[in-house]
Amino acid sequence: MQDIDVKTEHRVTKIDSKEKRIEVVNLSKSETQWFSYDKLIVATGARSRRLNIPGSNAKNIFTLKDLDDGIRIKNYIDEKRPKRVAILGGGFIALEMCEAFRLRNCETFLFCRRDLPAGNLEREISEKILKELEENGIHFLAHHEPAAFKMNSNGEAISFETNKAEYPVDMVLMAIGVIPNVEIAKEAGIELGKTGAIRTDTAQRTNLTDIYSAGDCSEVFNLVSQDWVHTPLGDIANKQGRVAGENAAGGKATFSGAVGSAAFKVFELEVAFTGLGTQTARGYGFDVDSQIIEAESKVGYMPGSKWMLIKLIFDRRSGRLLGAQMVGKEGVARRINALAVAVHQKMSVDEIARLDFAYAPPFSAPLDPILIAAEQAAKKIVR
Amino acid sequence: MLKKEKLVIIGGSAAGPSAAARAKRVNPDLEVTMFEQGRFVSYGS
Repeated sequence: MQDIDVKTEHRVTKIDSKEKRIEVVNLSKSETQWFSYDKLIVATGARSRRLNIPGSNAKNIFTLKDLDDGIRIKNYIDEKRPKRVAILGGGFIALEMCEAFRLRNCETFLFCRRDLPAGNLEREISEKILKELEENGIHFLAHHEPAAFKMNSNGEAISFETNKAEYPVDMVLMAIGVIPNVEIAKEAGIELGKTGAIRTDTAQRTNLTDIYSAGDCSEVFNLVSQDWVHTPLGDIANKQGRVAGENAAGGKATFSGAVGSAAFKVFELEVAFTGLGTQTARGYGFDVDSQIIEAESKVGYMPGSKWMLIKLIFDRRSGRLLGAQMVGKEGVARRINALAVAVHQKMSVDEIARLDFAYAPPFSAPLDPILIAAEQAAKKIVR
Repeated sequence: MLKKEKLVIIGGSAAGPSAAARAKRVNPDLEVTMFEQGRFVSYGS
């Protein structure tokens, strides 16, 4: 018994910061009530972005953000047994769902605006992802601009029309990003940042007294670019939430920021990254160079050794590691954490090359792939 | 009797529950209420 009053199916529709109260609708009873507060934490999250094109309100077009969305998708597959599924988008959710739909024997079409999936990652990483998708029977369709969905008389989309062609579909998943839920905060006078998410300080305070914000509705400070960005990830949300909670209860906690690390799985591939990519780093004015290597996950004579690709992004003058991206079939998602520490601590690639990593044949080569990549990168530093 | 201080949290996915738990640990006397529009809490953490 933690003595926290949890009210589900209650939607907060207004924040009145002058009277220190919020307006709440009890959705199951359709009743509206005011609740007073001394301290308020806005953790309203984000919602899936939806395309606003003809037919996009069809009932077999889904988004995936929360458990209810997942249940709806699962139920629809169980009931209707869709043969052809179109996924719009190329991010984590789109890629993870490719596998989920294939496991349910759906013929799966992945539509992207860009030329490669995971278009925010480095090209070399995205190319490996594309290969994995194709090997697993996903039809990848690049450079497709959505135009419309054609509906039948039941209000179900039966085809997806793009700038290139029309594709018959039985089900659609839109996985084209999220929008922070900031409407009630904005209306109350809570300041938003340039990203459109709620602006906070490192104590998770907003501009209004006694109001804090945390999670996907708020910005996070990126420790590499030194800029406030919107990085809607669950681990960051948890950390911000703890800080907001501690401070709202009278404590003095800070969340100094994130370097932006994440990992995901695409069929047999592990994909992981930390810090900034080449283009983003250039955009922030870094003098960027990079090094890419392919290595084995174990000593070559060990059975089951798998390839992996590592790309290090670093500052050409100082050698400082700005970011890293990896893809491979084994030992990738965990390995990135060593590089997340290096980015966090502003280590240079030549320092990284000298790190004492644990070695045994089942886990890596005598020189860990990270050390090999860092050694190669160090040769490019211009001091 | 001293009136308990009230903490209200809007949102029950990841940041909300973390904030609620932390606040309660720091100050067990706090009256914490968490509102969530959906049927589930802690679904995205």
